[in-house]
Amino acid sequence: MSNFFRLVFNEQVKLYARKSTWIMFGILAAIILGVAIFGKTVGNFDEDQYGDDWRQQLEQENAEIAEGSSEEEVANHWGIEENNYYLDNDIKPLEYDAWQFVVDNAMLSSLLSLFTIIVAAGIIAHEFRWGTVKLLLIRPVARTKILFAKYTSVLLFALTSLVFLLVFSWITGAIFFGINGANPLLVIQSQNDYTQIAAWAEMGRSYGLRLVNLVMMATFAFMISSIFRNSGLAIGFAIFLMMAGNSIIGFFMEYDWAKYILFANTNLEQYYRGTPLIEGMSLSFSIGVLIVYYIIFMVLSWLFFTKRDVAGH
Amino acid sequence: MAKEPAMKLIDLKKDIGKKQIIKGLTFEINPGEVFGFLGPNGAGKTTTIRMMVGLMKISEGDVLIKGSSIKSDYKNAIQHVGAIVENPEMYPFMSGWKNLLHYARMMPGITEERIKEVVSLVGLEKAIHEKAGRYSLGMRQRLGIAQALLHRPSVLILDEPTNGLDPHGIREIRQYIRTLAEKENVAVIVSSHLLSEIEMMCDRIGIIKNGELVAIETVKALTKTEEDRIHIEAVPLDRANELLRQTLQLEPTMEGENIKLTAKREEIPSIVKCLVEGQVDVFGVQVQRSTLEDKFLDVIGENAIE
Repeated sequence: MSNFFRLVFNEQVKLYARKSTWIMFGILAAIILGVAIFGKTVGNFDEDQYGDDWRQQLEQENAEIAEGSSEEEVANHWGIEENNYYLDNDIKPLEYDAWQFVVDNAMLSSLLSLFTIIVAAGIIAHEFRWGTVKLLLIRPVARTKILFAKYTSVLLFALTSLVFLLVFSWITGAIFFGINGANPLLVIQSQNDYTQIAAWAEMGRSYGLRLVNLVMMATFAFMISSIFRNSGLAIGFAIFLMMAGNSIIGFFMEYDWAKYILFANTNLEQYYRGTPLIEGMSLSFSIGVLIVYYIIFMVLSWLFFTKRDVAGH
Repeated sequence: MAKEPAMKLIDLKKDIGKKQIIKGLTFEINPGEVFGFLGPNGAGKTTTIRMMVGLMKISEGDVLIKGSSIKSDYKNAIQHVGAIVENPEMYPFMSGWKNLLHYARMMPGITEERIKEVVSLVGLEKAIHEKAGRYSLGMRQRLGIAQALLHRPSVLILDEPTNGLDPHGIREIRQYIRTLAEKENVAVIVSSHLLSEIEMMCDRIGIIKNGELVAIETVKALTKTEEDRIHIEAVPLDRANELLRQTLQLEPTMEGENIKLTAKREEIPSIVKCLVEGQVDVFGVQVQRSTLEDKFLDVIGENAIE
């Protein structure tokens, strides 16, 4: 086991010895700061300051929205629905704070997917491009072990950058917007209704679910990297599929087998907010499909990495 | 107990697609021996080396390293091997030192002292903390040899090790390879497409052509004291024949317009002098190549890659 740990350590050393890895963290930090500055100045994230008369304020807001809208629009307006939820349940809206900022930044996890794809795509392909694979594979270590050390290193990178996103968002949010206690209750949309949930639970849920998509796309890029030994191809393929995923489902929506497409299942959020993409899908169905895809990706990566000759350029 | 060969190739074959590119190589390399693996580009040297270290699957036959098969007992076999395959490629964004640390972590029991020792052996102390991407090819070659030596291998495989080195560097490497073989009993396999280079450091040479071993020769048999065959075109022939027999006690034979004889290379000037002083007109002196060079040039001559 210590042997395996040293291999993972080697991969991490190689990863962080490269400037591009630090540039990724730099970009992430810059975007988080950018969002915070935007929110503080132009975006007015914290414009709603509710005092003791918050009920009146909410009524006022509803009236303002209703003005100039048709009755139908009013009935379905999210702002009114949300305000009504506060009023009906007698909850005073919280001011925008670090926790809310962290939860909102969950959308940045797609950027993490992008970075993780880049890392996963390069971790095998680069060894071939640099020619170092020849020196790497003539050690008394099984190729399978080297492969899994590389894969573990990719997951470790994903985890590290996720923690970075969380912590950096929280600190930035705290500086710009302040903190409402250690674990405030947030009001979020769920299914067709609103609900109140603890900040920690909401963070765990939304980041955790996005992690599923991230891991699947990283594993896909890792597989392409192992099969074609070309990082450009792996990055291109994985990003294309990530972007085009929804169009692909849309295109095949009418067919029965559309629900077996990977991208119909990667967004588990669909079971918490809103309705499933295709009728007949459930959380356990999606998890099953994801596991099957995952196994296929891993087996193909393994086969191509361990069984194929390391030939000349 | 008979001396176990450090490495043994048994009817090694490699098929790629329908084509057989290595057609049954069989030879042994003993501890303490420097073996030259010689052949034109495309003859299959690198493919053979890749099979020796397990980078390529063996289609048929086997490679035994200290008795362990690289096919069925990979870990035990490979732990005795240090190698450079083709160019010594390193992680360009890490220092030479970190590159060595990286490989050291993959093998058991390599101390920091050992790494330092290896670095000073190849003479890289000054540049070891610079990024490998800034190294010249010669420095990378040295770093490559350093990583191959980290775990004190019994078999050292060097693919074109003098590539990119200046004459001074080549001499150092050559001396270093000799020392390793003689003092530490390492079996060294050196591949090259240059006979002149390999002749100077190897004990034995195997010549490969189109995936077949065409000759294995001991280098000692062709040292410079060996006699060359010499053809002399002279007029008049009879007189030349007589002169050589009487003055130099040689035994020439006549063949058409030429006189044929065997003599050491350093005798040639005195032969020519003797003939000229004896009023014989010399039109040409031709020295025939030694047998190994013959074979090698035959191979190189038709440098067709099948």
